[in-house]
Amino acid sequence: MSSHLRCENVTVSFGGVIACNRITLDVSEGKIVGLIGPNGAGKTTLFNVLSRFQDYEEGHVYVRGQPVDDKKAHEMITNGMARTFQNINLFSEQTTLQNILIGAHHRIGDPFSNMLWLPNSRRNERELVNNAVEIATMLNLDMELDTIVKNLPYGFQKRIELARALAAKPEIILLDEPVAGCNDEETAELKSTIQQINRDLGVTVLLVEHDMSMVMSVCDYLYVINFGANLAEGTPVEIKSNPDVIKAYLGEEDE
Amino acid sequence: MEIQSSKPNEASNLSWTEVSAQKTREKRRNWAGMIGLFVLAALFPMMPGVEGWMASEATLIIMYIMAAQGVSILTGYTGLVTVGHGGFLAVGAYASALATKYFGTDLITAIIVGAAAAAFVGCALGFVFLRLSGAFMAIGTLGFAFFIGTIVNNVPIFEGREGISLPDNHVLGFGIEDIGFFYVALLALAGTTLFIYALVHSAIGRAFMSLRDSEKAAEASGVNRIFYRTLAFTLSAAVTGVAGVLFAHYVNYVSSEVFGDIWYSVDFLVATVVGGSAVLLGPFVGGLFVAFLPTLIEFFVDQPGDLAFIIKGGALILVLMVAPAGAVEGVTRLFSRLFTGRKEGSNE
Repeated sequence: MSSHLRCENVTVSFGGVIACNRITLDVSEGKIVGLIGPNGAGKTTLFNVLSRFQDYEEGHVYVRGQPVDDKKAHEMITNGMARTFQNINLFSEQTTLQNILIGAHHRIGDPFSNMLWLPNSRRNERELVNNAVEIATMLNLDMELDTIVKNLPYGFQKRIELARALAAKPEIILLDEPVAGCNDEETAELKSTIQQINRDLGVTVLLVEHDMSMVMSVCDYLYVINFGANLAEGTPVEIKSNPDVIKAYLGEEDE
Repeated sequence: MEIQSSKPNEASNLSWTEVSAQKTREKRRNWAGMIGLFVLAALFPMMPGVEGWMASEATLIIMYIMAAQGVSILTGYTGLVTVGHGGFLAVGAYASALATKYFGTDLITAIIVGAAAAAFVGCALGFVFLRLSGAFMAIGTLGFAFFIGTIVNNVPIFEGREGISLPDNHVLGFGIEDIGFFYVALLALAGTTLFIYALVHSAIGRAFMSLRDSEKAAEASGVNRIFYRTLAFTLSAAVTGVAGVLFAHYVNYVSSEVFGDIWYSVDFLVATVVGGSAVLLGPFVGGLFVAFLPTLIEFFVDQPGDLAFIIKGGALILVLMVAPAGAVEGVTRLFSRLFTGRKEGSNE
């Protein structure tokens, strides 16, 4: 399998604190890859590096072998990358449909012909709306398209964020704790949705998650980081029995 | 794949096709209302009992509405509070005044010149204030209004307090009087209203609002913050600039005494916030309120003094307490609650 997203020796420090210390990871095309580690391990920082929200002192990031070190956050979508946020980051005063449509922003074409409602822009807009409705239907949000999102329950909001990322028609999607704060039922839903996105839409997935049972059952491959550095990598089965990982999570003694 | 979820509320149990049909009907109703409003305004000078000064008053109200519309693009839709739009009013006014004085342009050309000049200055200011937001943006734009005031007061070409007197207005070779000017202003207002409607209902408006609600999520979705912020500044300045052109040509005179006054900036912000900054009708209500208030007070009080300011301030506080999204939104919510008996929106 070829590499879809790769970072090499990424180092980020905030003042004196080194959040990421020469981290390397490689996400293969078409896989669901998990990034785990104890709290404060640097997972979210690394995510921000990969989606170019965070600058780094050292290292390189590649998408499909092309370096993206000098790209800005809003340009990553043109490299096929969409992401979600750890704490839900929706446009809370707007409807579900509007939220999903923002995700499709890089597909609007020329801004000025949009502003003037030129015919090709209107056609394109209708297509985007249809596509947004399709995505909403897939994620079972179609009954709430016209609802202001801040009025919706947590599980819905999580799914809307996913829908917004999907509206960009990404090739790779970065999910920052997609099931954090969800109950068992919502977790099960989101898990099958993530698998569906990967299987049916062929989207590569990189996710950060604390819910171990979810991570172990959904991921093809795992990276473990601890104190800002690579600790281990491997299939879920390998990771489960890796003594270093157990030590990092549970302390000195084996269970 | 089977996803079972409980519905969050009973009321929205409609399919998307039904909802979008409902929305289309709603949209038609709103358009009918808006067109009705403009027709009514167009008939206004012909109504019995309407005197000349009333048409002038109406023209003044139109200018306030338009200036507030400019503010609403930036403050309402893009979420950048501006206390400096009096500056753009002045830029539009002076640019068109100079064009008329030195090149004898007619009113239509003057409008284009004023809008272009204000747009240019707005674009530049957007770049300068790229990193400001919230209270800092408010202070920054206030500084801009002072800056423009100082410039027009001291740079010789603007003729300071002496002011520039302008010839009578003409459009396409025809001279126009008060009533004619009223119609030109009304047409311009129809133009800006249509423009803002198209803008905020397009992908561009969506990008503006996404920056307002969450810059981070907007950027993750591919919204170029620098481009759209600067664009919002540019368009907002242009609309207020047109109001400035009308203002200058309506009184045939520009001077720093009028346009160096930062109270315009405050008035426009108050108008936008009181009416509702992210609603199409908001600037109409707010502009009417702010522009007509002094005249209204004069009916009842002999020596009004600063009474208008006090009432405006009171109204601002009241609206922010009762209906933060503006009077239009507040009234709509009240009505929908009265008639359908259920809560629309949901702050409470």
